[in-house]
Amino acid sequence: MSTEDLDFEAEALSYMDQLFAAALRMTRNGADAEDLVQETYAKAFKAQDKFTPGTNLKAWLYRIQTNAFINTYRKKQREPKRSDAEQVEDWQLAAAAEHTSSGLASAEQQALDGIGDTEVKTALAELPDDFRMAVYLSDVEGFAYKEIAEIMDTPVGTVMSRLHRGRKLLRDKLADYGAERGFSDKRAASTTGKEV
Amino acid sequence: MAGADCSDALDRLFEYIDEELPEEEVQRIGAHLKSCPPCEAEHQIKEKIKALTARTGGEKAPEELRIRVLESLRAVRQDG
Repeated sequence: MSTEDLDFEAEALSYMDQLFAAALRMTRNGADAEDLVQETYAKAFKAQDKFTPGTNLKAWLYRIQTNAFINTYRKKQREPKRSDAEQVEDWQLAAAAEHTSSGLASAEQQALDGIGDTEVKTALAELPDDFRMAVYLSDVEGFAYKEIAEIMDTPVGTVMSRLHRGRKLLRDKLADYGAERGFSDKRAASTTGKEV
Repeated sequence: MAGADCSDALDRLFEYIDEELPEEEVQRIGAHLKSCPPCEAEHQIKEKIKALTARTGGEKAPEELRIRVLESLRAVRQDG
């Protein structure tokens, strides 16, 4: 076996934890996540000659895994609330909105300080697949828009739209958790003009 | 290039946070954020949510998965 093969294997295997964490976000289920990673590696090893050495192996593996998820697992799961995703307004319209009052913004910041990892994970899990994966690939994995576009096989503009929509939904969900802890009282106070 | 106004800055906040803007845009948006507390507050909220999300990764692949993957590697190598 050539050194090139061994390098490929060693580098590919070094991403297993990250691929597994991503698979957990995709499938939201430990057993399916393991199967998905296994399938990803089996496909990657078989298709090794299609990989160009020196290019981004990590992104290449993520792309294989994303395709495998879409082709195998998504079919057997009920697609979560796709209609919800369509109902979110276009991000460009949303972005044109003005910033909130300073009182509301500081109440929201305070509420976010009390949010735990479990709540964030739950909120992420509730996002539609495409939004969840775009947010995960950007925020957790630190991929650039161009790499996410490659992984999700979609134009950069679509990646940006998924990020905007996904983050907006995530923020709304986190605000709901905050509200359960009394953020709503502060919101009420600030909109009555006390802090404006 | 003219300075950024609020809608300009808010439109590009995610790209600013994700480090996707060219240097001159970073300067423009950064200058606006410095001079506009409400936009800066919005910037901080978005940064904070990104940081909260970033913290949620890090699960480790179970040992039996590692074994299964190495087995499938061996199988592919034997076929090839």
